[in-house]
Amino acid sequence: MKTKRNTEDSGSVLLVVLGTILILSIIGANVLLNCTTRLNTSSSQVRAWTDALSAAETAGDIAYAEIRKSNSADPAIRASQWVGWTQSGQTYTSPEVTLGNNNLKGRTVVDKCYFDASGVFKLGTDPSGNIWYRIRSKGTVPLPGLKRTGMDDALVADGQKHFAAFGSTEMQDITARGKGDSLLRKIDFRYDHFAATYGPKGDGLNKALVPALYAPSISRRIEQIVTPVTPFSDTAIKSATTFYGLGSAAQIDSYDSRKGPYVFVANNPSDPRYPDSRYGSVQINSGVATVKGKVYGNVSTNGGTVTGKTSNVYGSIDNNVPFTLEDYYLPAALSARVPQAAGTGPAQLPSSVTSNKTLTPSTAGTLAAPVYYRIADLTKVLTVNPTAAGTNTYVALRVTGDFNGNQAGITVNPNVHLEIYFEGNIDVKATNLKNANPNTTNPLASNLQFYGISPPRDANGIPKFSQTVSLDSGTPSTLAMTFYAPGADITIKGNPDFIGTMVCKSFYANGNVSWHYDRALNTVGEVLDYRIASYVEDTR
Amino acid sequence: MKAGTSTKTDAFTLAEMMIAMAVATIILAVTVTASVALQRSFTAVDNYFATHMQQIRIVDYLARDVKRGLSVTSSVDKQTVTVQIPRYIIQAGDPEALVNPSLIGTSRPPTLSLTDLNINYGTTTSSVEYKVVGASILRTENGVVTTIASSTDNLIPETIDVELANTEYTTTAITFKPISVADRNGTVVYSTVYLRNRRRL
Repeated sequence: MKTKRNTEDSGSVLLVVLGTILILSIIGANVLLNCTTRLNTSSSQVRAWTDALSAAETAGDIAYAEIRKSNSADPAIRASQWVGWTQSGQTYTSPEVTLGNNNLKGRTVVDKCYFDASGVFKLGTDPSGNIWYRIRSKGTVPLPGLKRTGMDDALVADGQKHFAAFGSTEMQDITARGKGDSLLRKIDFRYDHFAATYGPKGDGLNKALVPALYAPSISRRIEQIVTPVTPFSDTAIKSATTFYGLGSAAQIDSYDSRKGPYVFVANNPSDPRYPDSRYGSVQINSGVATVKGKVYGNVSTNGGTVTGKTSNVYGSIDNNVPFTLEDYYLPAALSARVPQAAGTGPAQLPSSVTSNKTLTPSTAGTLAAPVYYRIADLTKVLTVNPTAAGTNTYVALRVTGDFNGNQAGITVNPNVHLEIYFEGNIDVKATNLKNANPNTTNPLASNLQFYGISPPRDANGIPKFSQTVSLDSGTPSTLAMTFYAPGADITIKGNPDFIGTMVCKSFYANGNVSWHYDRALNTVGEVLDYRIASYVEDTR
Repeated sequence: MKAGTSTKTDAFTLAEMMIAMAVATIILAVTVTASVALQRSFTAVDNYFATHMQQIRIVDYLARDVKRGLSVTSSVDKQTVTVQIPRYIIQAGDPEALVNPSLIGTSRPPTLSLTDLNINYGTTTSSVEYKVVGASILRTENGVVTTIASSTDNLIPETIDVELANTEYTTTAITFKPISVADRNGTVVYSTVYLRNRRRL
């Protein structure tokens, strides 16, 4: 009898124990479920938001690499530019790329653009300048799981209850947290909120309900401006090794030809042109720079000192500005072209200019595709006319040998834009270098540009010969030109009035030169590379 | 006779009842204790995680602004950060908006400064300030205040900006005191961000 009763009671206790375990398990599982769901949702959103920017920046990098292909020395790479992209006018759209392990998507739109003389942004190609690019990229990352908000968007600003006890310290904390996640990380649950609210281009036009690439997903957008890197940038003289000069009565200052002809205002802060007058800077990549004349700009060295009349430097002296000048090669676009046939006609040049010659090209050419001539030597005066009076004419002249002799010279007449690529040496009287574009009184340095092709190097990397440029001013006159010759030793004698800039291996000038850097040169000249000049995220 | 026998046989003894009640009480106590502990644990974990999310939110806000910033300065106490960012979006009161109010909220094209060759968006920049006010971390952009984090867990962000020869970066460290531990050890989150448009203003 007792045995039977005991058996029945044990059964009840077992049930109670099992029930208790079940209840505890349910509570525990609920805690874990709540924690992990909220953790996973919020973590995914944080990760996706960060990844979306990586995807957008990757798309921007792809576009940047595509732009730089135009400067490659490899014809195959140049030919592959924009392959696979969709072109519409001056706009290129990339194919959609998939990145990483989380199915990141990137797409970018590249617009050719430029800034006019007033600095106003224009879409398209600058008829008289280099091409800029605007890159607009979008990165999208899918969010795993259901369409959930972040944890802080389910809070109680509107009186809804959260998990903590109402009125408790935890509740006060939760109430005070604010609602920041959805302001920061905008989730597209079904539609692309950007296209619906601001239009596909963000300009308020063509707003439409466009299904999101993934639902849900997070997208981020960036805009980058890519500027061409040109040889000159607010530097009157840039020397990779030594610098000496100018004469003690010389001076270097600057102006901006876009705002009018040169006048000396570097000592007059009240003049409206004064802000452009103190960019006559000198950059030296050696330890010692000897300054004698006045420098209305900065002087920098590579870990060295500035000696001489340092009080003549009106800008700053910085002895920690190293830089590298790479060897300069004939631009890829020119090397791929066939020069005009040699001859004696008015639109032709002989293989060597050994007697005075007047050249009148039969076509005007363009900045991107100038009329291209090639000669071996230039020992007399070459006068270049426009193809017709008043017609801007762009000419590129390659001199494979030397440009020298007391009677050697160049005359650039109005409307002519001449680029000379020399592979040998230059030794001429500066008075024979005449730039008359737009006129002889206020010529623009950008209309006569010299580019020194760096001497080839031997197996040890040593240049096979020293390239030299020697300008003997003769009778002082106004010289307006630019030199970009990173492999050349430049020597200037006499006291010319010089407008322009020189980039060279070494520089020596002992005359009382009046040197004016034209700030308009900052955006002209041969494109050496491209760089990203601006980065902004569209946070809408 | 049989009925009387049956009644006596089915009853519990006092000892049995005491034991059963004691066991039941223990089980109930365990259940309640475990429930409370789990609830507290959940609250603590939830609070910790929620505050951690705020740390990340502060870091993300700062990273977004510093990365596109033109310049950044941090205060001596490291708790106030001011960032100048491009004025990419046309806002009410801007010159373009005065001419054409429908442009408010749209992006503006860049301009090139011929003086310093910088790319600008508009003639002015937007000023963004991050500041600790009481238990709140406020983000103020052109006078518009947003509470991006606020906590009785006493969040403390500290940011320093470091200028290099050719760039600038910020380093941020954020700590808090969890309600369950009341100790900042182990709660720090670090972030380092470089300026993409670093500019001397």
